[in-house]
Amino acid sequence: MTLAQVADSPIDWEGALVERARAGDTRAFERLYREHTGRVYGLCLRMTREPHTAQDCTQETFINAWRALAQFETRSSFGTWLHRIAVNVALARRRKAARDEPVADVDVEEEGAAPCWTLETPVEVREIEDAIGTLPEGARDALVLHALYGYSHTEAAQMLGVAEGTCKAQLHRARKLLRERLNVEVG
Amino acid sequence: MTERSGKDSVTTLRDLPQAIEPERDLWPQIEAQIAAGAGRVRAGVAPGAAQRRATPSRVYLAAAAMVGCVAVGVWIGRSGLPGAAPQAARPASATMQTAWVTDPRYQRQHAELLRSLGAQLATLPPASRAKVLASLTTIGEAKAEIESALGRDPGNALLQELLVNTYQDEMRVLTDVREASEAGEGI
Repeated sequence: MTLAQVADSPIDWEGALVERARAGDTRAFERLYREHTGRVYGLCLRMTREPHTAQDCTQETFINAWRALAQFETRSSFGTWLHRIAVNVALARRRKAARDEPVADVDVEEEGAAPCWTLETPVEVREIEDAIGTLPEGARDALVLHALYGYSHTEAAQMLGVAEGTCKAQLHRARKLLRERLNVEVG
Repeated sequence: MTERSGKDSVTTLRDLPQAIEPERDLWPQIEAQIAAGAGRVRAGVAPGAAQRRATPSRVYLAAAAMVGCVAVGVWIGRSGLPGAAPQAARPASATMQTAWVTDPRYQRQHAELLRSLGAQLATLPPASRAKVLASLTTIGEAKAEIESALGRDPGNALLQELLVNTYQDEMRVLTDVREASEAGEGI
């Protein structure tokens, strides 16, 4: 690629920061932290429901990311890679606390294709966050990754380490419980 | 969970904020943790380098500049050079960083190093001289590219960060050459 071609093409500055961080530049890594901490902490908080635990998970996520930077494929999204690490960290903590929910409890009916998770009427943010917080862990994890963060069934299932069918079943369960708790139709 | 959305109510779950800022800055603790492994980096081993796979990645000019400088730095075998900000130092605002580049003291030192570069390069073996010139050429291209991009997007903090880092890389190479020349060492 010539310099002129480089000048005309969009430059992945985040990729450049990742390259610098890989070479041991902590300042570049801090910039990546500043860019991504909100989405990582948001995911951790929704999965753990406890701010201090979510903070610990966020810290652990970035520390693990730093140690594993060499394994990051620059062709993929750094944010998605961080989310995968964050989900692993949150699930590991949950397992350590022995509060894992048996997957066998989920409904057998699976979530249909292309759910948009639209509410029949507007719902206050706090009310819906609280309702999400009361969902069983498996259903909540699937809902947070799929409905809030936009990951596909396949991606969410991979992140959670479950079969795609299980993920869809958890989403179906989440939709049903959310409908009951918010008392509105969730389309 | 405290909510930080600008919206009071939503009609779809995708409208919920994905990013939530933690109540405190988590970076100092993350930095302390990764600094514990800094010995590896100082020894020339990047984070996770043991598992690094050789992947043909796109070479961004800025990243290339950094790689070139690191290569020269390792090759010369020096560290803690004047003119380079400490790696672990927490950056001030991007505006303050770019102000550093225009600082008269920096500009004087930079000009002085450039003036003596020719004589110092003459003391180096041809292979060493070629490596230094190749690094400086790459850095120069990176600076021009970043400055051009900043011209189109002056408020881009990532670009400002990269520009400052690239200037620091250049100073590191120039200082290395001067020290090697003064010490009467071939490179």
